[in-house]
Parts: sequence; structure tokens; C-alpha cells
Amino acid sequence: MINIQHIYKRYRSVHALEDFSLEIPLGAIFGLIGPNGAGKTTLLRILGALIPPTSGQVWFGDEEVTQSPTMIQRKVGYMPDFFGVYSDLTSEEYLEFYAGIHGISRRKSTKVVSDLLELVDLTAKRNALVETLSRGMQQRLCLARALIHDPDVLLLDEPASGLDPRARVEFRELLLTLQSMGKTIVISSHILLELAEMCSDIAIIRAGQLVMAGNVEQVTHSLGGGNQIEIRVLERATDAKQLLKEMPEIRNILDDNDVSELIQAEFNGDNQALHRILAELIAHDIPVISFAPRRAVERLEEVYMNITEGASVL
Amino acid sequence: MTFTALLTKELRLRLRRERFVWLIIIYLLVMGLLGFGFLQRANVFSGGYQGYLLSQIGAQLYALLSFIQLFLIVFITPAFTATAINGEKERQTFDLLLCSKLSAFSLLAGKLIAGLVNVLLLIAAAIPLFSLVFFFGGVSPFQVLNTLVIFIITAIVIGTFGLFCSTLIHRPTASTAVAYTFCAFWLFAYPVISILTLGGSIPANSRWYIWIQWLNAWNPISALNSVVSSVQSGASNFYLFRVHLAPWIAFTLVSLMVAIILFLLSIVFVKPDPVGRFLPWFRDLGKKSEQS
Repeated sequence: MINIQHIYKRYRSVHALEDFSLEIPLGAIFGLIGPNGAGKTTLLRILGALIPPTSGQVWFGDEEVTQSPTMIQRKVGYMPDFFGVYSDLTSEEYLEFYAGIHGISRRKSTKVVSDLLELVDLTAKRNALVETLSRGMQQRLCLARALIHDPDVLLLDEPASGLDPRARVEFRELLLTLQSMGKTIVISSHILLELAEMCSDIAIIRAGQLVMAGNVEQVTHSLGGGNQIEIRVLERATDAKQLLKEMPEIRNILDDNDVSELIQAEFNGDNQALHRILAELIAHDIPVISFAPRRAVERLEEVYMNITEGASVL
Repeated sequence: MTFTALLTKELRLRLRRERFVWLIIIYLLVMGLLGFGFLQRANVFSGGYQGYLLSQIGAQLYALLSFIQLFLIVFITPAFTATAINGEKERQTFDLLLCSKLSAFSLLAGKLIAGLVNVLLLIAAAIPLFSLVFFFGGVSPFQVLNTLVIFIITAIVIGTFGLFCSTLIHRPTASTAVAYTFCAFWLFAYPVISILTLGGSIPANSRWYIWIQWLNAWNPISALNSVVSSVQSGASNFYLFRVHLAPWIAFTLVSLMVAIILFLLSIVFVKPDPVGRFLPWFRDLGKKSEQS
């Protein structure tokens, strides 16, 4: 468990983090979401023992970050938002260099580098100069670099920014593989859907303060963003609304007074519940044109936009 | 091991760049053309290489090439080290170095040595040009050795100063500018002051005289001049550290002291939180002294 307790970080007059407390469970893919300037990078740099907090404590199990920064840095693999590559080195040389400065022997590093290149699917590019790799490949190479010393915790700052959809999917698959290997992964992003797709838990940060943290579904529900359903009918919208109100799966009808053919409702339950709702409508001869459930995860973006409205400093 | 990895990476990066090849070519061209020009002039004014002038021509050619080399070293070395640390910060790779087992000493030593290897390669590349001197004679092996020491020490001082600037100053352009300003001051402060004071107008027992004496002892031009000058005399020795020292030895000692101080300061400032980093060390030291 990574335990962040009441940390403050000030850069002269700027308060980057204020009384920030959070628990990150081991083995999770934990997303830090917030607009630009919310304090995500500062938090990751504190977690990586790269900068000390102004006050407060961060515990990795029994070890406090400021007391044993070197020990923490060995447990942590950090990937900054900027790739930070040496363009005149080949992929293999790049990883060998980082293996060397992490104290991995030359003989061992050859195997480690080969394994990591295979893991990130860059074996074919081992002798290619880093500058010739695509952005997605460079991103994967940086991830391999962060893994070079086999850290328990990975801190990834905006890892998927600028990646095309395919590269993003590949990157997500890679993170899931790493999670299955027992790594704890902390990812920051200001693109919420990017995180919602891959994270088991999230924390929303706004202006250096924690707004909400927990399981993705829990957070969405807590912030008023439960599962929704959009039903469009050809006619008899009022009958349809009445019918829906009587169903136990339906929590609330949004804009109940609206007489249009588009009905929006909040619902509880899984796909079985959705099936029952649809079957009930059809059984009562309601002419349904479209039936579109929107899961909480898909609505997260909407909730997030409401919370962080006007909070971006960049 | 961490040091070797850094050094290997630095050398790979630096030597792979096309501009380094061009640098060697231009370096040798400048030295070669100026040396050739000197020989042309010597040929004209001496009416052909008359036997009794050959050693004199050799000594003069050696002095000329040595001064050109000194100025080129002073001109080139800051470019190799003055952006070593802040360049990593600008490239956003510095955090990644901090997250490793790389100590402050290994980081700086790797950067410094990689920079100096570049300068040493330039010095080595110029050896064939210098060997022309041996056709004429007039230069002793001891002089050659002393000159080489002065070149290397000059590169070390400028290298460590550049490194120090790059640890303290955030912007690479600013640190490079400061390093070049230092080089100009280092080279020309003593000659300018000695011209202004017109030598001997300051009493030998005054505080200013002692400072000027130190400045002279630490001046690479003075040191090189004393070595390559055909007039060698013990009268020009410095009285420093309570002993009489040959100028090149005084220069070497003072320069090494300065370089060590700059290097140690760089170690203090290269990683974040310089005070906090050394506090536990001082506390441990205090506890040990209390126990003893």
C-alpha cells in the first residue's frame, strides 16, 4: 500500500498540493486525473522521491519517502511526460545505458534488455536509432526503460498523450500485462477516457486537492454520474415513462416533464437488467426506435468536465 | 559500473555526431594553415632555411602552434562541458538519472571525463602537426611534456568550471556564456593588469602585488610562455606555497586546486536539495565524533 498523508508542496507562492491524502492499493492500475496544473506531476515526482514534499509524509509500506529516497527510487520506475530519449543511441544501447546506471552487470543486462525489448515488442528495432522510432515505439521504449530495474511500482506521467488510437490500445494491453505481473501502476492524465479504459481505481485532483478517489464505478456514482439509459420512442412517450417508473431497475427519470420522444433515465444493474427493461417496453407495445445504455465509465468524462470546469491553469 | 555506463553513453553520443568530425577538420586546418603561414614567412625573411636558424625556426614554430592550440582548447572546451548537466535537464532526462544508482560523483566525473576525452582527441589529432617541429629541432622533450601538461590542466580547469556552471545555471545558453566569460577573464586578466600597472609600479610587499602574483601563477598564457620561450631562467619562478616553483608547476598546482574545489561544489549542487542531502551525513559525523 502506498500511503500519502497530508502532503503540501509549495513552489514559492504557488501551492501545487494542499493537504493531499490518498491510499494507492498494491497491484492496482491507479489513475490520477486532473486538468493541467492540478498537481499530478508534482505528486508523481514526490512519489518517485525526486522532490521532497514541503510537509507531510509518503509511505511505501514501512518506508517513508523522504527518509530513504534512494531505497524508494530503486522500487520505483518513473516515466516523465516528456520522453527524454537520447536520439543518437540505438534502442538496445539506450536500455543498456539505463541498465548500467541501475547497477545491472553487463552480462545480466544483455538478457534484461532482450527480454524488455520483447515485452514492448521492439525486438525488431533493437539496432534502430531512437530518433527513427515512431512516437508510439518511443513511448514503449520509455516504458521498457522504466522497467529496467524491475521496480514494484511504475509512475507514468501522461503516458498516452499524443499516441494514435492503435498505439494507445497497444499501450493499454501492455499495462494490463504489467499489472498481471504484479506491478502497481500509477498513471496521470488529463484525458479521462484514456484512464477510465485501463484503470481499476482513480483519483480526481483539482487545484492541488483531492476531489474524490476510489473504484471507477464508485467515483462516478458518488459524483452523480451513475449508469444511464437513453430510449427514443416513436410515440407514447408518456406511457413509456410511466412504465419505466414502475420498474425496480429504474432509479430516476431525467427531465420527467419533457414531452419529447427521447427518454433519459438512470438505472441500476447489469446487462440482464437492461434486457428486462427493453423486453418490458416491447411487451407493452411501446414503439422503441433506439435503446442506448451509457455505463458509468462512459459518462465519466461528463462528470469530470463538470468538476474541473475552469480549473485548468494552462 | 554506473560510471562506466555513463561514460560509454556520453562518448557514443558525442563521437557519433557529425559536428565532431567537422570540429577536428577545422581545428587541424586552422593550426596547419597558421603553421604553414609562419613557415612561409620564415622562409622569406631568413632567405631560405639557413642551417644556424633552423633550431630557432623550430622553437618559434613550436611556440606558435602551442599558443594556437591553447587558444583553441580555451575556445572549444566550454562547449563540451558547460551544458553537460543543464542540457540533461533541458532534454528532461535528468530526472531519469536521479532515479538511478548514479552518484553525484559518478555523474559529474563521467560528464567531465567524456568532455575532456574530446579535447584530448583534438590534442592527439594535432600531434602530427607538432611533429613537424622536430624537422627543425630547438625543442626539448621536456618542453613538449610541460606543454602537454599545461594543455591538459587548462582543459581540466575550463571543463570543471563549465560543469560547475551547468549545475548552477538552469539555461544552457547562459551557462555557456558564463563559461566563456570566465575563459576570457582567465586568459586576459593578468596580461591586461600587467599592462595597466606597467610592471613594477606596484611595491613587491603590497597586497595587490601578491594577488597579481597569484593571478600570474594561474595564468595559462604565462605558464605556456615560460615553457615555450627560448629564454629559460630561474628568475621567473614563483614564490608560492613557501617554495620557489617553476611557472608551469605553480600553474598546475593552483589549477588543480581550483578544479578540485569547483568539482566538489558541483557535487554539492548537482542533485536537488543540497542542504538536506548532506544533513544526515553531518549528523552521522557529529554522532561519531561524540562517541569517540
